[in-house]
Amino acid sequence: MTTTEDKTDNIPGGARAPDWSSGVELRAGDMFIGVYQPSPETDGYWRGVEKGRFLLKFCPACETWHHPRRIMCHGCQSVELTWKQASGEGSVYSFSEVHRAPDVFAAATPYVVGVARLREGVHLFTRFIASDNDKMVVDAPVRVDFRVLEGGVLLPVFVVDEGGQ
Amino acid sequence: MNDLSGSCVISGIGRSISKRGDPERKTPLQLVIEAAGQAMKQAGIDRKQIGALLTARMPRSYCSLQYNQAVLNELKVAPMISTEVTSHGAGALGTIELAVSLLQNGLIDYALCVTGEASPLWIEMIAGSANWEADLQFEHPYGPTTPALYAQIACRYMHEYGVTAEQIARVAVENRRWALDHPHAAMRHKGPITVDDVLSSKMISSPLRLLDCAAWFPGGIGSAAVVTRAERAADVDQPIYISGFGQCSVHEWIGERMELHGVEPVMDGPDMVRTGASVAARQAYDMAGLGPADMQIVETSAPFAYANVLMLEELGFCGIGEGGEFVAAGGIDYDGGLPFNTTGGYLSFGQSGQGLYLLKEVMDQIRGTPEGRPVPGVRTGLVHGHGGPLACHSVMIVTGEKPQ
Repeated sequence: MTTTEDKTDNIPGGARAPDWSSGVELRAGDMFIGVYQPSPETDGYWRGVEKGRFLLKFCPACETWHHPRRIMCHGCQSVELTWKQASGEGSVYSFSEVHRAPDVFAAATPYVVGVARLREGVHLFTRFIASDNDKMVVDAPVRVDFRVLEGGVLLPVFVVDEGGQ
Repeated sequence: MNDLSGSCVISGIGRSISKRGDPERKTPLQLVIEAAGQAMKQAGIDRKQIGALLTARMPRSYCSLQYNQAVLNELKVAPMISTEVTSHGAGALGTIELAVSLLQNGLIDYALCVTGEASPLWIEMIAGSANWEADLQFEHPYGPTTPALYAQIACRYMHEYGVTAEQIARVAVENRRWALDHPHAAMRHKGPITVDDVLSSKMISSPLRLLDCAAWFPGGIGSAAVVTRAERAADVDQPIYISGFGQCSVHEWIGERMELHGVEPVMDGPDMVRTGASVAARQAYDMAGLGPADMQIVETSAPFAYANVLMLEELGFCGIGEGGEFVAAGGIDYDGGLPFNTTGGYLSFGQSGQGLYLLKEVMDQIRGTPEGRPVPGVRTGLVHGHGGPLACHSVMIVTGEKPQ
């Protein structure tokens, strides 16, 4: 391979070509920051969040609840899903306290992310809010709330009901 | 054992490495092309004989739609079939599995399988990783990291089966011992570690501590293999027979894993712990007509210590829920246990996204030319490739002799 010197020696007028031997620094754009990307099939979820309403996808044909992403009911293959207000109640299915995080979230560490098991049978990745992270346990009851998290986005989160244990 | 077993061989394998700090920093394309050249040379073929070019998914550090065509363009091949096999890290072995299907049907005579990654040379990894593992809309805004996603499964595994952090730590300890013998292992120069070292290492995302986590391979690895029908490899030195393989993929995002049920491996209802590895392993064992007890060496791409314990269960080396006791009782001990992750594994050799370098290790051991500690008398080995948060799994069994 040629060296940097080889590449710049013969350029007329003394102009120097960039040194490409190490590539160029790339900066992550918006899509990498994790800004949510509502789309026609999920827009209803985020419209609900704006109003403090917690909606899930629902299949009227077979009366099953689904993750807000669902396009097709895996029970009956219907694609005629609707939005329906859910209870907002559930329990901790799994969780992890994050200690090392990328810049956007670093100041908030340690924080708890996990999967909530909702009363409707749907599971949702979320942020758990507890008064003391050390008291987080699987199966603890949780209830939905709405908070603006570190990325500046209003999101449903689940608050651990510590009195209910 | 069915007709596929032993019908095809890997007649050549190549691997190229570029490490951080080397005078020249290589791109993934450079690395895979170098590896492809080695593989074709070992197989005794040239570019004009390639009937299928199968790449694993595009490297994170070489984002290009139609990545397979970029590889094809460089190699100047004109195959019948050119495509990416993109089930995350499972796609690397997936290229070989697809190659066998094409070869055995007589559609082609030679397949070139190419895979590589060089992210740590070119990309900031901490912030970047979760973007590839988490759902940008429904997960990423909550601040998950890649360990935090895998930690969900660890949480349930330890909760449901009572596997302990002490038991799990043994994986990190034994992997490190193998790494000390391997010239390319990321953690070779860090020396041995103890269970206490693991348990007192910095918490990354509970319950995962630093020494529970895979190290990034400090550079890039390209790897490539030539696959052909067994009868075409008569002149090749030590072709390696593909005895069995299987594959199973179950989700993309961990938050939606629990939506799946009614199919293996979650026939009886949603479950976060049990993975497609058990399904892929059963397919591979059935095809090969072999079982776990026949495996003399095992390599897995499990990127966290607990996931190795879980995979030992899923691949059949101990019972369901018994992985913790198995490793604690010396099941994978460097001295006298099952030869497991003999390069040091993802934890101590390092993880390079995807590749055929674990397959190469098994082939090297069978051929008697390992770079690290030799495992004497190996004729049969198992490789497990995985990707996504335990979402996609490939299992392959290879042998030094044609299966009977």
